[in-house]
Amino acid sequence: MRSSAIAAVATLAAFAFTACSDDEPTKPEDAGGASRPVRIGTKDFTEQFILGELYGQALRAKGFRVELKHDIGSSEIIHQALAGGGLDMYPEYVGVLLSEIAGRRERPRSPTAAYRAARAFEERGGFTLLAMTPFSDSNALAVKPEFARRHRLRTIADLGRISGTVQIGAPPEFRTRFEGLVGLAERYGLDNLKARPLAIGKQYRALEQGEVDAARISTTDGQLAGRGYVLLKDSRGLFASQHVAPVISRRSLRTHGRRLAAAIDAVSRRLTTRAMREMNAAVDEDGRSPSRVADAFLRRERLK
Amino acid sequence: MRRTLRTRITTRVVALSVTGSLLLATALVLLIVAVAGQRDASRTAFRSQEALTAGSQLEKSLITIENGLRGYVASGRERFLAPATQALASYPAELRALTRLLSEDPGQQRLARRIGGRIEDYVTLWARPLIALARARPPAARSVVITGGGRERLGAIRADFARLFERERNVARAREERAEQRSSLAIAFGVGGLGLVFVVAAGIALYLRRAIVRPVVTVAHATGRLAEGQLSVRVPADREDEIGDLARGFNAMADSLESSQVELERSNRELEQFASVTSHDLQAPLSTISMYAELLERRHGADLDGGTSLIDGIRDATQQARTLIRDLLEYSRAGRGQLRVEAVSIETVVETALEALAGDIEEAGAQVRVGPLPVVPGERTNLSRVFQNLVGNAMKFTDGGPPEVTIGAEPDGRAWRFWVSDNGIGMDPRHAERIFEPFQRLHGEEDYAGTGIGLAVCARIVEQHGGRIWVTTDPGKGSVFSFTLSAQEA
Repeated sequence: MRSSAIAAVATLAAFAFTACSDDEPTKPEDAGGASRPVRIGTKDFTEQFILGELYGQALRAKGFRVELKHDIGSSEIIHQALAGGGLDMYPEYVGVLLSEIAGRRERPRSPTAAYRAARAFEERGGFTLLAMTPFSDSNALAVKPEFARRHRLRTIADLGRISGTVQIGAPPEFRTRFEGLVGLAERYGLDNLKARPLAIGKQYRALEQGEVDAARISTTDGQLAGRGYVLLKDSRGLFASQHVAPVISRRSLRTHGRRLAAAIDAVSRRLTTRAMREMNAAVDEDGRSPSRVADAFLRRERLK
Repeated sequence: MRRTLRTRITTRVVALSVTGSLLLATALVLLIVAVAGQRDASRTAFRSQEALTAGSQLEKSLITIENGLRGYVASGRERFLAPATQALASYPAELRALTRLLSEDPGQQRLARRIGGRIEDYVTLWARPLIALARARPPAARSVVITGGGRERLGAIRADFARLFERERNVARAREERAEQRSSLAIAFGVGGLGLVFVVAAGIALYLRRAIVRPVVTVAHATGRLAEGQLSVRVPADREDEIGDLARGFNAMADSLESSQVELERSNRELEQFASVTSHDLQAPLSTISMYAELLERRHGADLDGGTSLIDGIRDATQQARTLIRDLLEYSRAGRGQLRVEAVSIETVVETALEALAGDIEEAGAQVRVGPLPVVPGERTNLSRVFQNLVGNAMKFTDGGPPEVTIGAEPDGRAWRFWVSDNGIGMDPRHAERIFEPFQRLHGEEDYAGTGIGLAVCARIVEQHGGRIWVTTDPGKGSVFSFTLSAQEA
């Protein structure tokens, strides 16, 4: 499997980078730094909420003051909030960061290369990336098995054979993203697609009820477990494999010292694909709250 | 005398005044509290109203920001952004004003802090990033707006605002009600207290009247009656306080006066008894002496050979002694005993007196002029005696010429002044007082007959009638004897 190989490489690379990229001079914590809270933002879907809780609770356990700001919005807006000083950090998908924030259209050769490029981009703006997670997820297009059978669909390119419009349930930014309608038109030449903006997580329901023909999903979504959706193969590599790395302001790292990065990295290191999927499913399928799911995980991993 | 502090009137009056003052002060304090409470309540209500206004303004600013943002993102026109930019600049001051004006209620302050935090999040995590994004990448901003993150945040803030406003209204209303209750209670207490003050003041006045004024008035009346001669008058003296002291002092004084009076009356009575006994007893031997002198002259007059003149001497001396004794009796009786007062025509009285003196008048060739005379209360016989003595005197002390006597009267305030004037020898004014004392004579008996008791008798009678007697005199030209009698019955 290509994605798992990438994930393994990325994990190793992340450790390597974490080990040697700590070139930021760290000052001892002063009283003001200790009392200033670390403001962690999350985007507007389940995995992000869980990630926010994981980082936040782990930091609190280490004695940091944390302000969690959930559900800020898509990468476009949350990155602006970070840049505007409203946040200190948020977990971001390296691929999205590169394609949508940095505006890079060409695919990096490897997750490590992607990570490096993204970090270089952030450091120009006064931010940096902490260690990547072992887990990766990527966006994908899912259809129901009957729909795939009827239209004999296997790859994304097969969508072009369908006469008439294909409705895709996706987050609003799908229309304007490269990993969205823009890229689908550019790489696959698909012009019969129409995006229907839905809040992340809502697209499964729309797909079930036949309101849309396909849905943009994330490969770590808990809703995928045991449903038998057909994921259309991305043969032209539009959807990048995405590891998560916390974007954090260097000022915050200076203020709080090495302990902050160490505590965050300790969490990131344990986030395997399986662990992330289980946690997503616990929230989206079992209806548990992100904060309890994160709490249970941190305790199990002795991070709390 | 046992006298505890508690019984002192001074103490009691001070205690009553202090009680009254305290009551009045309490009532005033309660009224002040009431007024202050009402003022506080209205101030609180006003503050709450201001807080609500500030809150509405803040809410409006947020809506302006959101609408401006959406307009700008959708159209890309800066003019949509202008009001939002303005509102972004003004909202912190509005938030501060709201927090300042909100009631001190901890729940409200907590809610206000939460709203403040949410607004801060809305601005830093939504509004400002969105503006920046819209400037840099308008299509991306449009895609972000679709999810409605800002609207949700705003909705949560507005829900909090609604809760805040409702609670603020409730808090203000509750405070107002509580203050109103408190102030009406205080007003009731204050008015009640004032009423109580009036009642206590009336009580104090009644008490003072009963405990001080009445006893003092009683003593004053008693003093008046004592002055009128009712020496037996006494006042109750069973109290232990200053009034008791006064009453006891009065009673002691009355006791002492009464005993002096009794003593005086006893000695007067003894003196009178002595005088009448003496004069009566003296008359008997005098009669005997006179009788023996007669017998001696009748039986042995021829043998005595010139001794008759000695017998005449005995007879004269005896006669003189008799006159003296008679006058003494008259003086001792004059002005004694109870007056039987009636309306007396002084004209009649003078007539009677002149009739009694008719012989003497004719003998002296005197001329008596009588002016118009009033009717006054008095005792006829005694007053007649006064005129008789005065006219007798006037005719007696002459230098030989025919006496001229004038009797007259004139009103003198609430009394009448009567006078008897003569053209006699007059006297040295230095003696004007002395002549009214008994047995005082200015001349030898060989010059003018009499025992010197007449004027003393006049003085006694006039004084008994409540008047006074005096003389104005001009040696060699004559004298005017004046006396006053009250015009009305006393």
